Amino acid sequence: MTQPVLEIQHLKLHFFTDKGVVKAVDGLDLTIREGEIVGLVGESGCGKSVTSLAVMGLVPQPPGKIVDGSIRFQGTDLTKASQRELRQIRGKDMAMIFQEPMTSLNPLFTIGNQLIEAVRAHRSCSKAEARELAREMLEKVGIARKGVLDEYPHQLSGGMRQRVMIAMAMILNPRLLIADEPTTALDVTIQAQILELMQRLNEEFGTAILLITHDLGVVAEMCDRIVVMYAGQVVEETDRYRLFRQPRHPYTQGLLLSIPKLDEQKERLYAIPGQVPNPYQMPAGCRFAPRCTQVMDVCRQTVPPLAPVEQGHVSRCFLHQKEESHHGTD
Amino acid sequence: MLAYTARRLLMLIPVLLGMSLIVFAVVHAIPGDPAKTIAGDKATPEQLQEIRKNLGLDQPVYIQYFKYLQALLQGDLGTSLVNKTKISEEIGPFLAATAELSFVAIAIALFFGINLGILSTWRQNSWLDYGSMFIALIGVSIPIFWLGLMEQWLFAQELGWFPSNGRLDPRMEYEPITYFYIIDALLFGDMAMLGDVLKHILLPAIALGTIPMAIIARMTRSSMLEVMRSDYVRTARAKGISEFLVIYKHTLKNAMIPILTVVGLQLGLLLGGAVLTETIFSWPGVGRYIYDAINSRDYPVIQSGILVLAFIFVMINLIVDLLYAWIDPRIQYGKE
Repeated sequence: MTQPVLEIQHLKLHFFTDKGVVKAVDGLDLTIREGEIVGLVGESGCGKSVTSLAVMGLVPQPPGKIVDGSIRFQGTDLTKASQRELRQIRGKDMAMIFQEPMTSLNPLFTIGNQLIEAVRAHRSCSKAEARELAREMLEKVGIARKGVLDEYPHQLSGGMRQRVMIAMAMILNPRLLIADEPTTALDVTIQAQILELMQRLNEEFGTAILLITHDLGVVAEMCDRIVVMYAGQVVEETDRYRLFRQPRHPYTQGLLLSIPKLDEQKERLYAIPGQVPNPYQMPAGCRFAPRCTQVMDVCRQTVPPLAPVEQGHVSRCFLHQKEESHHGTD
Repeated sequence: MLAYTARRLLMLIPVLLGMSLIVFAVVHAIPGDPAKTIAGDKATPEQLQEIRKNLGLDQPVYIQYFKYLQALLQGDLGTSLVNKTKISEEIGPFLAATAELSFVAIAIALFFGINLGILSTWRQNSWLDYGSMFIALIGVSIPIFWLGLMEQWLFAQELGWFPSNGRLDPRMEYEPITYFYIIDALLFGDMAMLGDVLKHILLPAIALGTIPMAIIARMTRSSMLEVMRSDYVRTARAKGISEFLVIYKHTLKNAMIPILTVVGLQLGLLLGGAVLTETIFSWPGVGRYIYDAINSRDYPVIQSGILVLAFIFVMINLIVDLLYAWIDPRIQYGKE
């Protein structure tokens, strides 16, 4: 098995606000290996974006604070790294693209200026060399039109801007690319193009990708492995085949049920009952218990551990752990 | 950019016309007969008629206005009743003195205002933030004349570090070229003179720049705080560039538009409203020039002085507008 690029262990990231403590990420484990595409899935507010910002060291502190756990990137623990060390890793070994291509580029500087800056932040080379690199990179992301380097972001469409963002992220050939809902703000046809581009770059450069999304369709198409998050915790993790064929956690099952299917005639789409728990008042036991259709007494009192249900498949649910023990005694 | 500039210049024409009309109307609405002022109390009606004819005052008002406009377009601002000199030849040095003082004041205000604002955004809600904003609060509240007098008392009288008034040591009299003493000193390559000029200008410039400094600091803070939250600042950080570049390149430039608006308005006010400072520091500026004209009821000088200041105000606003477009490339396209 290949080396892990990123290894998050038991990460707890809390926000200390006037109203109380928000446990945005509460004991998260996540591993990404070389060249792998991992999907991080969950509803809005489940902590997936905060996790990615924590990896990049971009969580505003205060109010945010990493209270426990570690984020090891190529052997370095980022939770203990200085701002200076983080700056040297960011943009060079680890890069990120964001949800909103319309606002993620600085409107007052040309595309060229912003790409060149990304290069020269980490590599000592002349402006001309950096510019040449920028031009090549734009070509690789499918922007062949001349003169884009001298244009401003407002002269480009959303899809083009996201391509520029990808070019900027990939220009120094990072080992890890974090993509936070990279296609959510784009048209469906453009979405497909951007995902295809990311897949191609993943194959060409061997860059590992952490793809954060709430779109299971995107995950099914792109990811080798999928991590499902709920209320700051991982609830299930497995490869994409097993996730779609045999989801174990009731939350994942609910998510999959809520995808509309072409061959079904339904009056209404399925929706998971209830709401995401109030971040200031998390349930005592399993966080999904109040919404779970298969809830048991134990779920309301004890937090279920994240435990393997089979080789390469973990789930945070007492249901399967009971089954497992059955299997064990058989 | 060229088309935008041309458009802005064309828009200037009605503004300038309106301005000249208002100034003309106001001066004509002032009670009293200029002919009597010139000729004195003992003049005969024939003499008065003669003077009116010479000045063109016997003609209808609209003809007078067009004649006045015609003269203005030729750069003729009229003649002083007191000195009998051409105002256009006389006003230059006063304007230069005021402009020099205002520019130095606004430069000081910009440097300290922006950095104070950045300091407080950089560590929001820390003692640095509160300290900076306390200084800004004092700055907007302090009366200029009091600050000027205190400066003179402390730095000129008690400590003797700076001269208390004037633009230059009288023993250093010279033949001015531009009447901007700093520029003249540089043209001559005379470092001793430059030092003396800077020594003279510092105290009045600080007195004049304090209020704009405080206003700029507050504007910078609120504008920067807003920009700091934007996505592209996060992108800049994600690239791993230094915090200095994040703040001074990516954030400040975006925060600059509202700051620039304030700077333009303040500079306009400085150029017109430096009377107090110029009086305290015996600065031979245009504020003093108009002040003296008002005292001696020299109407053409008042009229032209106001007109020139209004013109400068309009020009500064034009420059600010052009700077907007230079800073933000989206502006010129938005106005197509």
